[in-house]
Amino acid sequence: MSSISPKVQNQIAQLQQVQQQLQTVLSQKAQYEIEIRETRRAEEELADLADDAVVFQSVGTVMMQKPKADVAASLKEKTETLDLRVKQLERQEQMLQGRFEHLQNQVKAALEGGPAVPSAT
Amino acid sequence: MVNEVEREIQVLQHYLNEYGQQLEVLSQQLQMIEHGRAEASAAVEALTGIDTAEDGTVLLPVGGGVTLRVRVLDPDRVLLSIGSGVVVERQNAEARSFLEDRMLEMEASAKRLTETLGKIQGQANEVAQRLDQIYRSVQQQGQAPPATG
Repeated sequence: MSSISPKVQNQIAQLQQVQQQLQTVLSQKAQYEIEIRETRRAEEELADLADDAVVFQSVGTVMMQKPKADVAASLKEKTETLDLRVKQLERQEQMLQGRFEHLQNQVKAALEGGPAVPSAT
Repeated sequence: MVNEVEREIQVLQHYLNEYGQQLEVLSQQLQMIEHGRAEASAAVEALTGIDTAEDGTVLLPVGGGVTLRVRVLDPDRVLLSIGSGVVVERQNAEARSFLEDRMLEMEASAKRLTETLGKIQGQANEVAQRLDQIYRSVQQQGQAPPATG
């Protein structure tokens, strides 16, 4: 590491940072996707029930009985919100992926003594 | 030459660590699935038992090894969680069928996970064998094995 210039050392540190950020984004995305699947499944189960079925929904630490239509609407809203969050995270993922590849090329070029890759602006 | 060997050892060690982490995560997932399946199976057994109990009296554990005699008011109507914080009232048989479907899905997931675990374990073994080979050849050449982090 001592023979590596401070500039490249800095780029390697940035690369590691971007990699960590990417991992965080990916794990958050996976978490939301699991939640979306679970919510869609609950929506499907609910759809199979009669309109006057007894349905409870958790409100804080208690379960409250609610009309089926209200619960269905709240699940739909939850799915939409989660979908939006996943899309935001996908945009972040793309941006970080681009930054990661750029930094990786810069470090590679510096270590192999190849042509310098221009810094990202 | 020593540098090349050192580099290969570092790379292989890195792969071995990565595989180890993946194996740990997947094993935890497998344990969770197996726990969920066992819980669902116990619930199916309880629902079947309650459905066939003579006067509907069961022992309800309240912790510390203490149980209470309780009578299930309506063993045919149970409250079932369908996920996402929603609980619905279903008939006993419907709840059992729901749980049995979930158990089948969990079994399929567990099978897939076990296959993946086996593949990763195989890859990790290959890397470990290669590392072992390098260490032996270094020792045979009378060199001290390079230190790795």
